[in-house]
Amino acid sequence: MIDTQSRNLALWNWVVAFAAFLVACFLGFYQVVERSGLFDFLESPPAYFASVSTHGVLMAYVLTTFFIMGFGYLTATSSLKRPLWQPGLAWSGFFITLIGTVLAAIPLLAGKASVLYTFYPPIQASALFYIGAALLVVGSWFWCAIMVVMAAQWRRENPGKGMPLAMYATVANALLWLWTSAGVAMEVVFQLIPWALGWNDTLDPGLARTLFAWTLHPIVYFWLIPAYIALYCFVPKEAGGYLFSEEMAKFAFLGLLVFSLPIGFHHLYMDPEQGAGWKLWHGIGTFLVTVPTLVTGFTVLASLEIAGRLGGGRGLFGWIGTLPWRNPVVLAAILALLMLILGGFGGIVNASYALNAMIHNTAWVPGHFHLIFAGTTVILYFAIAYHLWPKITGKKLVSNTLALIQLWTWFVGMTLLSTPWHVLGLLGQPRRISGVTYNSLLTLAWQPYELFMIMGGAVLLGSAVLFGVILWKTWRNTEIETVPEIAYAEPIHPPESLPAWAESLKTWNLAILGLMLLSFGWPIAQFFFLKTFESLPWGY
Amino acid sequence: MHIDPLEKKWLYIALGMVALFLGSIFISLAVGIKPPSNVETIDSARLHLSKEFAEDNLGVHIQPDGRITVIMVAGRYGFFPRHITIPADTPITFRWASVDVLHGVHMPMTNMSTMVVPGYVAEVTTTFPKPGDYPMLCNEYCGLGHDYMWSKVTVVARQTWEKQHSKGGES
Amino acid sequence: MNRWIVGVGTLLLATALQAGPSTQIAWTEETLEIVESGNPERGQELSQRCASCHGDKGISANPIFPNLAGQLATYLYRQLHDYKDGSRENPMMQAFAAGLSEQDMADLAAFYSRQKPAEPAGKGGDFTAVMALINHGDSKRIIPPCRVCHGEHGQGERIDTPRISGQSQAYLEQTLKAYKNGSRHNDIYSRMRLIAQQLTDAEIERLAAYYAGLAP
Repeated sequence: MIDTQSRNLALWNWVVAFAAFLVACFLGFYQVVERSGLFDFLESPPAYFASVSTHGVLMAYVLTTFFIMGFGYLTATSSLKRPLWQPGLAWSGFFITLIGTVLAAIPLLAGKASVLYTFYPPIQASALFYIGAALLVVGSWFWCAIMVVMAAQWRRENPGKGMPLAMYATVANALLWLWTSAGVAMEVVFQLIPWALGWNDTLDPGLARTLFAWTLHPIVYFWLIPAYIALYCFVPKEAGGYLFSEEMAKFAFLGLLVFSLPIGFHHLYMDPEQGAGWKLWHGIGTFLVTVPTLVTGFTVLASLEIAGRLGGGRGLFGWIGTLPWRNPVVLAAILALLMLILGGFGGIVNASYALNAMIHNTAWVPGHFHLIFAGTTVILYFAIAYHLWPKITGKKLVSNTLALIQLWTWFVGMTLLSTPWHVLGLLGQPRRISGVTYNSLLTLAWQPYELFMIMGGAVLLGSAVLFGVILWKTWRNTEIETVPEIAYAEPIHPPESLPAWAESLKTWNLAILGLMLLSFGWPIAQFFFLKTFESLPWGY
Repeated sequence: MHIDPLEKKWLYIALGMVALFLGSIFISLAVGIKPPSNVETIDSARLHLSKEFAEDNLGVHIQPDGRITVIMVAGRYGFFPRHITIPADTPITFRWASVDVLHGVHMPMTNMSTMVVPGYVAEVTTTFPKPGDYPMLCNEYCGLGHDYMWSKVTVVARQTWEKQHSKGGES
Repeated sequence: MNRWIVGVGTLLLATALQAGPSTQIAWTEETLEIVESGNPERGQELSQRCASCHGDKGISANPIFPNLAGQLATYLYRQLHDYKDGSRENPMMQAFAAGLSEQDMADLAAFYSRQKPAEPAGKGGDFTAVMALINHGDSKRIIPPCRVCHGEHGQGERIDTPRISGQSQAYLEQTLKAYKNGSRHNDIYSRMRLIAQQLTDAEIERLAAYYAGLAP
């Protein structure tokens, strides 16, 4: 039985996460319609950029952070089989994150923070926005602390035993987030807030971009790890089989934690403030971090194959047909893997030093990250919700069929939305425009693609609303959930213990510290040695 | 610790793939493709008072050694000068600076792409194989007029361009 | 190669004829601090010399003189500075500005920027011909929309983009025309000149009427 505190914490964290998600989906639909240029009365850059900023913040920071916190409390208590450490602290974290969200939402919706979710200075937003964003991050650190302490306590009481995989991954994610968020926290606390409050007149946009790049890539893995937990820990069992290898799964999470951190400069390939050697170094790291993802793809597919063959599948591909496609968790996993493969290829183009110039800051980029984040990651968030929402509310999932329809429509919608984006990017359409207003032969070819994007947006909005309805109806369901326990997939062979260094928090942190010093030490220090010129704040 | 032989094989395949990708990066370096990375600072507030980015110095220049440089300024909401003409099949070095906020610039279907960060000069050298009219587009959100920030570049055959410039054409 | 040398020569000649920067003001921290140090009370005293043309509270009786009430302090400061060093030409204003210190300019800017902008003179006629320019610009002529810089309400923007609502129609019209023919040239990198050169006189007249009639 999951203890009441973590159930309530998961419930309310997820209520906030999914409410933010629904609002953001409506905004997203408005955006595809606005930017198509087909409806003159809708065209308004102030409304569009306020909407894009809010959509980005809600999806990237609010949905993810609250979802991950809620999921982490469930994972920790159920996999370690111990009550939550300091629920009061967890609730404080929840409220601080919530207050941060509200403080940031006020200027966002009022159009006083239309700086997009990347808030690149020297365009300046209302100070409230930066303070809200800082609180959102600080609140999430409470969650990190609880995860780390619970893991350490368990380890002390179970010397020599391997940590349950779900918790191993969760604590890796907590550490990852502490390291990841440090970059943006430094930017917000030392640069943006003093500047927005008028204590400092100027700041260095080059330094700000460097600090943001610190956060900007590993944050993606912070969002992705819960999805991977579902792939490793829920999918094999739901499919009727076993996890192919727990040891490799742990190495994959360890690899993500250590190698996803020092790679952020692939976002700065086209920037003048960092030297070519540093960009190359981060580029190499970017390719190294694909290894854990490739391992994940293999292990999860192998686990699915085991399940398919146990279900009677024969021949090279026969096992695919015998998988339980009507199980939402399994279906979501298959769709997620499809989108991950496509999105992954797009990412390899982004990360390639020479190819990047062709697609840098074009529509290709939102196409890519919608496929990876809104596709792969969020569809697995749905799967986790379908799996766990009944267990935290105690009510039976209202309809399995509706859940399947919701997952399929999300997949179809995301394909319709992101394919034209990729094409438009190759044709050179810039990202972050509210409409195509150029008068050039080369830009005329863009028009038909906008129609597909509207269709994709409409399907996605419908799917998102259906998701909300399913959760709401389940919550209000009169039927009681019969399986209140969270069951984790068993590995096909009993896991042998990992070498001590692979289980030790200290080793991981030292390794990261070394890599971060190597990768960001001089690139950040250079701003204090160069003769730099800072920028005054600009409006928009 | 147990690692399945299949997994080991896959690990080697994965590492091989990574090696392939990294190899392609090194090949591109060897042929001289490199993104703007000149780490050169400039005072964006005084840009118009500087020598290089003075209003009258913007545009296309032929250096004494024959190289072609284009001095450009990005500012809300346009690129200055508004229209330049450059020769095809010739390495052209763009030097970019911003007069206000963060901008990005690229020309579709070409390798001309760079961020223009206030406080820094971005330098990018590339060649345009195909003559034609190209738009130069702002690709980083720079304010409410971001969508409208663009200008024009005409790439003409090298001989035509030389002829125009020997008659004292535009700069 | 000879052609290239001739080309270089032409370019060098062009460089020799250059006119210099459009303004001497740079928006550095120091410049901003001077503007922010402006004392509105002292500015009010100084403004008595300006009142005969620009009115007691910065609202001119004669529409050919600009209203200064509610104008951005940064913009006012820079214009005075530009008059003083000759970047902006006008015999009367240059004579006045010649005697002003940096602090005087900041004080005057502080005083006028704190006054309430003039009420609109009343909407004059039909603006359908220019609404597209105001809201969407014109991509054929590479004109960005007026509102993306000057704001939905013509209120201007932080550094240097002036308020144009609360201004008289005659003054707006004359300013756009001065940008168009180049007699006013203190806009950095010709930003406003490039736009005004693309506008027809009829558009200038309608745009001026629109912003003169817009509630600030």
